[in-house]
Amino acid sequence: MTDTKLTIDGVEVRFGEALALAETGLEVKNGEFITFVGPSGCGKTTLMNVVAGLQRPTSGRVLMDGQDISGRPGHVGYMFQKDLLVPWRTVTGNIVLGAALTGRATNADRADARELARRYGLGDFVDHYPHALSGGMRQRVALMRTLAFHKDVLLLDEPFGALDAQTRLEMQQWLLQVWADSGRTVLFITHDVDEAVFLADRVVVMSPRPGRIQAIHDVGLPRPRTVDTLLTPDFMELKSQVLAGLYHHMEG
Amino acid sequence: MKAVRLATPLFAVLLVAAVWQLAVSVFKVPAYVLPSPSQTWSALGDDWTNIRSLAAQTLYESAIGFLVGAGIGFALAVAMAHVKIAHRVLYPILIATQAVPIVAIAAPLVIILGYGLAPKLVIVGLIVFFPVVVNVLDGLSGIDAGMVNLARSMGAGPVKIFLLIRLPATLSPLFSALKLGAAYAVTGAVIGEWTASITPGLGKDLLLKNSRLDTAGVYADVLLLTAIGIGGFLLMTILERVATPWRTRSTARRWFRR
Repeated sequence: MTDTKLTIDGVEVRFGEALALAETGLEVKNGEFITFVGPSGCGKTTLMNVVAGLQRPTSGRVLMDGQDISGRPGHVGYMFQKDLLVPWRTVTGNIVLGAALTGRATNADRADARELARRYGLGDFVDHYPHALSGGMRQRVALMRTLAFHKDVLLLDEPFGALDAQTRLEMQQWLLQVWADSGRTVLFITHDVDEAVFLADRVVVMSPRPGRIQAIHDVGLPRPRTVDTLLTPDFMELKSQVLAGLYHHMEG
Repeated sequence: MKAVRLATPLFAVLLVAAVWQLAVSVFKVPAYVLPSPSQTWSALGDDWTNIRSLAAQTLYESAIGFLVGAGIGFALAVAMAHVKIAHRVLYPILIATQAVPIVAIAAPLVIILGYGLAPKLVIVGLIVFFPVVVNVLDGLSGIDAGMVNLARSMGAGPVKIFLLIRLPATLSPLFSALKLGAAYAVTGAVIGEWTASITPGLGKDLLLKNSRLDTAGVYADVLLLTAIGIGGFLLMTILERVATPWRTRSTARRWFRR
């Protein structure tokens, strides 16, 4: 038994004639943190939708723990750029949304949700409605909702894209802490090269027309990573490599 | 602060009444042209037992018609939101129902439905259901597609998505429509009574008093009809606050916390 969690095996997606994602393969290790960077139209969201089971691949398949999950939703936790909190549910109610949607949210689920909120600094807000929270808090709740769905693999599609720079840095560090606590496997989409390098074990650079994986960079930076990591020569070097790849593509 | 907020509209009503009273006394308007508020009030008091049962009848017609109209409107909106062909077929018909003058179809309705409760329910229902359909449809189509996608990614089926995501999203627009409907329903009941009635209500009584030049009596009836409309509106406002607490509160009510 290898420690491969997720296998993207020859996945290709066409919308009619248009090739949205050229044949793509990737093996993701258990507990690995992978970030995807690339310009719009490089197929990263399409790839996530395939892994989430929302989009059936035209050809190829997605394996999780050896099981084919292509076109079958409900196997991963998916978080979007918009927090998509349900306005009529409290923080607790939103965190247990997955349980409510797929069966019944039990009192134990709610107790777990409150515990989660408490552990990550939202203990005083469990009965608040989303509209009463700040953008950063809402995004935390959205991540807690994804965690409380109890899936080993988390897909995060530009989850911090809408936040201001400072909140964003806080959220990135918080996410790393949550990730270290929970030992989940994370696929994380971003536009931001700094963010991609700072978070990842591996950075996948994608390019458009057709969407495809252009390069994969190993990030050997030691963990835990802090704001200081952003200033190390190793970080700068990696960042310039990734940028060079992106920039090279844009010129060509 | 709350007392002030409640007192303000009351003060406004009293102000209108005072100006009205003053105008009638100063310009010596005869009572058969424009009765003063005090004359209206005493007309209401003198005939109270009679008027009360008439009001009950009109209230009954308005309320049942309101419920029927709102129920049909809601069901139509849900059907139209989920079945494309239903939307395409029904929408023009819905518009047509509102373009037809209600008074014009009141008489033919009597021929079809007789003099009982039925034609009144149809008229009130016709007035109430339209804002409900339009608003609930807006609510259903205004749902963030991402929210539905999120639910789908969690493996939720269409029934759960409808109950937990789509349905609650219709509550706010539904109540906006119900508030309008509650105010309009009384008008519908009165029109219904004018064209056809064997059971007397305030609308019928209004015509009778008008023909006798009992203007104070007419105003007394109008006062009561207005009160029914306002009462319905207020009831809907209260229900709205209870049903959609997230619009006005930052935290869930204690007894709803789980």
